[in-house]
Amino acid sequence: MIEFTEAAKRQILAFMEQDGVPGLAVRVRVASPSPVQPQYEMTLIELGERGPEDQTSDTDGIPVVVDPESARILEGTRVDWVDTLQESGFKFHNPNIQPLGSEPLTGPLAERVQRVLTERINPSVAMHGGAVSLVDIRDNIVYLQMSGGCQGCGMASVTLTQGVKQVLHDMVPEIVDVQDVTDHASGTDPYFSPAK
Amino acid sequence: MTGGDRRAPQRRVLLLIASSSYKAEDFLDAASTLGVAVTVGSDQEQTLAELAPGSSLRIDFQQLDRSVARVVELHAEFPFDGVVAAEDEGVQLAAAVGEALGLRQNRPEAAARARRKDLFRECLREAGVPCPEFRVFPLDADPIEVAAALSDSPGLPCVLKPIALSASRGVIRTDRRDEAADVYRRVVGIVEAANEENPGATPPGVLAEEYIPGEEVALEGILRDGMLEPLALLDKPDPLEGPFFEETAFVTPSRHAPEVQSAIVAAVERTVEALGLREGPVHAELRINGDGVWPLEVAPRTIGGLCARLFRYRSRYSLEEVVLRHALDLELPEAEPGAAAAGVLMLPIPRAGVLRRVVGQEAARAVTEIEDVVISIHPGGEVVPLPEGHRYLGFVFARGESPGDVVGALHEAQERLEIEIGATVSAGA
Repeated sequence: MIEFTEAAKRQILAFMEQDGVPGLAVRVRVASPSPVQPQYEMTLIELGERGPEDQTSDTDGIPVVVDPESARILEGTRVDWVDTLQESGFKFHNPNIQPLGSEPLTGPLAERVQRVLTERINPSVAMHGGAVSLVDIRDNIVYLQMSGGCQGCGMASVTLTQGVKQVLHDMVPEIVDVQDVTDHASGTDPYFSPAK
Repeated sequence: MTGGDRRAPQRRVLLLIASSSYKAEDFLDAASTLGVAVTVGSDQEQTLAELAPGSSLRIDFQQLDRSVARVVELHAEFPFDGVVAAEDEGVQLAAAVGEALGLRQNRPEAAARARRKDLFRECLREAGVPCPEFRVFPLDADPIEVAAALSDSPGLPCVLKPIALSASRGVIRTDRRDEAADVYRRVVGIVEAANEENPGATPPGVLAEEYIPGEEVALEGILRDGMLEPLALLDKPDPLEGPFFEETAFVTPSRHAPEVQSAIVAAVERTVEALGLREGPVHAELRINGDGVWPLEVAPRTIGGLCARLFRYRSRYSLEEVVLRHALDLELPEAEPGAAAAGVLMLPIPRAGVLRRVVGQEAARAVTEIEDVVISIHPGGEVVPLPEGHRYLGFVFARGESPGDVVGALHEAQERLEIEIGATVSAGA
């Protein structure tokens, strides 16, 4: 069903040992299958907490409990553990969820959006050391990523909602929504930093 | 984030928010949920202001008359149905705008009384609401003479604090005459630094007040035509005895006895009445001891930092949505109750330096009751502990079956986090 890398396995076993309760299992759940930001949950449970519908498997000696809906989405998923300067946690590599930006963007809608970003939005945003780039368009929803001074900026949501969204809606009216998929927590040079 | 229907006639709110705010995203999300148009009034020019007329306005929170004139001018083209201040910086301007445009807001003089700790205490004293003995020293007072004067009034131990800074910045307890001069100098330095960074941030003085022992609580509520509707009473389970007053955990519902809770609500009601606050959000901080309930602060805004997010776990509505609905006179439908208990922990900053990273976030999130861990200083950012510091390192949110479960989870999550801080690199030749 799913597999763990050696690093993930070591981390899970460490959490189990930290908990100190014998007979623990890992419950893996797909909290959100959205390609925008797929969300997964891993929690330690006692085997007795399993529900009647849950599927249980043994992955390299670690009991894994998954509900039927999650099991369907997780088929073939590899779980890794990363611990770097930028991030720390379990990473899911799921072949069943096509992440945003995984296909090249083509077509007139993408070209128009890109033109607005290049000609109208980014020259202004650059004055704060930032940039906005097009990640994907699905069902006329535009997915954007912010970088430089915009990434982690306390006013990034203002730039997006009060500026980028309005300009895109005005110039490309068929767009139904604009969503920010930036990992703001990793921003290292935000233009505005929040303070008390 | 969802978009409102842009073709429908929209109500518009003026959101007064500092460029250093933690709350922009949460207020804008709430406005989006309500389908309300927003004009962001802030102290810095927004990057795309010229491309999106009416979406933002640069204003000076200190220059009330000039800023009100700019808002009134914009109102002619983009009429406002409400005005909200996200934090302390904007409360007086929000009141002035409310008065000028006839919007649901507090009277400017009431907002001014709530904003300044000296005026707040004078007001409480006159109204007979329990209030510590206090006095104000000018910044150029001789520290040795201040130390001698403190022994007489308000007496030792006492607490020295800036007149209008928030979140315990610059608040120091002093117990002895021989240390009081140094403590005074330190608070003066913090006041001067705050005003250098943000001119007019706090009046040029230091407030000295009697130290009130006891447990501290916070009350979040909303005022409608002078009537207080309590939204949550929050306990602060970690002791706050000084010398610095770094707030850590807030947990709701309160574990205080019902009669104590009633006394807290009554004290806030008396305080808002004394101040003249009548509309909008109220965040109150109080101490409880054998002598009664002591309001330390009652501000016409929501709780600071990202702490308001804990309300999402106990109600279908965010606190920001409640505030916007009030400002726009929109009904708030009955919400289904959420979790039995919820809490937030503000991560203390252990020492000054540069934040390298926060290790163990996944492990902290793995604690059963933990909902989220948000680190609010970016890697490489400067961290400064209280009393000089004015940034939160991060927030941990939890919900559970009882306040005890939530407190336990917050502390367990904190233990799993390792904050790596490096030395500050000074620029030099």
